[in-house]
Amino acid sequence: MSVAKRPADPKRKAPKGAARSERNWRHPLRSWLGSHRASARQALHQVRSYPFSSVLTVLVMTIALALPMGLSVLINQVEQLGVNWQKAAQISVYIEDGVSKERQQEQLAAIKTLSGVANAQLLDKELALAEFQQHSGMGDALLQLSYNPLPSVIVVTPSSIEGGAAALEPLRDRLAAIDGVEQVQIDLLWVERLAAILGMLERFTGGLGLLLIIALLLVMTNTIRLAIESRREEILVVKLVGGTDAFVRRPFLYIGVLYGLLAGVMAWLLLAAGLAWLNVTVQQVASLYQSDFALIGMPWPDGLTLVMGAMLLGLVGAWLAVGQHVRAIEPS
Amino acid sequence: MIRFERVSKRYPNGHQGLDNLDLHIRSGEMVFITGHSGAGKSTLLKLIMCMERPSSGAVHVGGQNLQELSSDDIPYLRRQVGVVFQNHQLLFDRTVFDNVALPLVINGTPPDEVGRRVRAALDKVGLLSKEGSLPIALSGGEQQRVGIARAVVHKPALLLADEPTGNLDPALSAEIMALFEDFNRVGVTVLIASHDLPLIAKLDHRMLTLDQGRLITDGE
Repeated sequence: MSVAKRPADPKRKAPKGAARSERNWRHPLRSWLGSHRASARQALHQVRSYPFSSVLTVLVMTIALALPMGLSVLINQVEQLGVNWQKAAQISVYIEDGVSKERQQEQLAAIKTLSGVANAQLLDKELALAEFQQHSGMGDALLQLSYNPLPSVIVVTPSSIEGGAAALEPLRDRLAAIDGVEQVQIDLLWVERLAAILGMLERFTGGLGLLLIIALLLVMTNTIRLAIESRREEILVVKLVGGTDAFVRRPFLYIGVLYGLLAGVMAWLLLAAGLAWLNVTVQQVASLYQSDFALIGMPWPDGLTLVMGAMLLGLVGAWLAVGQHVRAIEPS
Repeated sequence: MIRFERVSKRYPNGHQGLDNLDLHIRSGEMVFITGHSGAGKSTLLKLIMCMERPSSGAVHVGGQNLQELSSDDIPYLRRQVGVVFQNHQLLFDRTVFDNVALPLVINGTPPDEVGRRVRAALDKVGLLSKEGSLPIALSGGEQQRVGIARAVVHKPALLLADEPTGNLDPALSAEIMALFEDFNRVGVTVLIASHDLPLIAKLDHRMLTLDQGRLITDGE
């Protein structure tokens, strides 16, 4: 580096000073990248110079992100459980008392040939009683009975429950028409209720998410507004030496993205930890219902979406703030 | 380089900054503007920098009618001009190096060239050893020289200074003026607003005197 030689340089080049100070077109990409790197570094510097308020901002954003995202992940996973249950949706075909075992087998065979039937299983009345005694907790009381009150049942699994109970009506009629069938019951109501409840929860989560996103944008906008105010002097100087509005805006946009990134990652960690913590009790409850259901935690794609979305929200919030405030600061 | 044609500037509060001013400063000149405070010195510099717009008349800088510049063009005008302020306008949370580098960072100069040019400018004002210091650690005269280094680091064709020796003792003031003369000698047009008449009188340059926004003497 020939620092000592430099002062002689302007002598030769001074008459072309104006031309020399124009933008250096030979390195437009490098200039652009360099300028962005400088903006990013400034953003980092700004966030680090106000650690307390930065941490608070990130925490508020984290909670605003984690709450709706967590609910949505939970609902999604319960919905998948619902899908499994739907597969188990059944039509119970009660056989008239007194129908012979051979006739029951014929009925079963007939039902299996019907279209719309995925599977059918005969639950003979003695078997039904044994199962009921075992699981209902009323085993001793049942032993007092002198006869078996339970009917034989053919449990039919429909191949599709699309369209709900109404769509199963034709199948029910055909089942009811079989000789020796006393009653046909579609056990679909609870599946429909579950779907309705999940739909309601989903809508609630959507509304809550919308409100929290608005809150998050307001927090971001206010944070950036304060950052702009705290650097008013600097903005004036930058504008005086030829900084464009875009140049002045850029570090603040980076601050928004940086806050978004931090809050997104924090929310991801919080959700992953929270779901793991919840999973312990969920598995306990599930095992009591003879289910091996477990939360699958925070899926990768959801986490990435969360972080990207948070960065985008940070950017939008910052943009809203700089749009208003940067133009208003002019040297005079 | 600079041409004012019947330029008036009246502020919203009724103060007449400039009154029907005609002025021509040629490329390569070194010119002092004097006058009492409120005579219009600062207004004149602000019009050249597009920090203010004239109420009437036209200001040309480097052949460009400033009236025709949109607000998006103004930053590019300012990049052609170096400005030195009385109160330095340094950023106190940045090092001397970063302060001087600001105009180069703004116009997108590649980093290695930034380093070279900043050190050349600091060397010129005799502060090469202070590049890593914060401005607060420097004396008033040194801070002003950092301001000058920042004003010339991007090699502007035009250098403006508003009371650059306002807070300095006579010896330091003379040093600063000598620096401006050095820049002028290599072809930079220099325009200095100052009311330090004893100092200006010692230097042999064109002197404009303003009074209530009018040009009363032009010592060409």
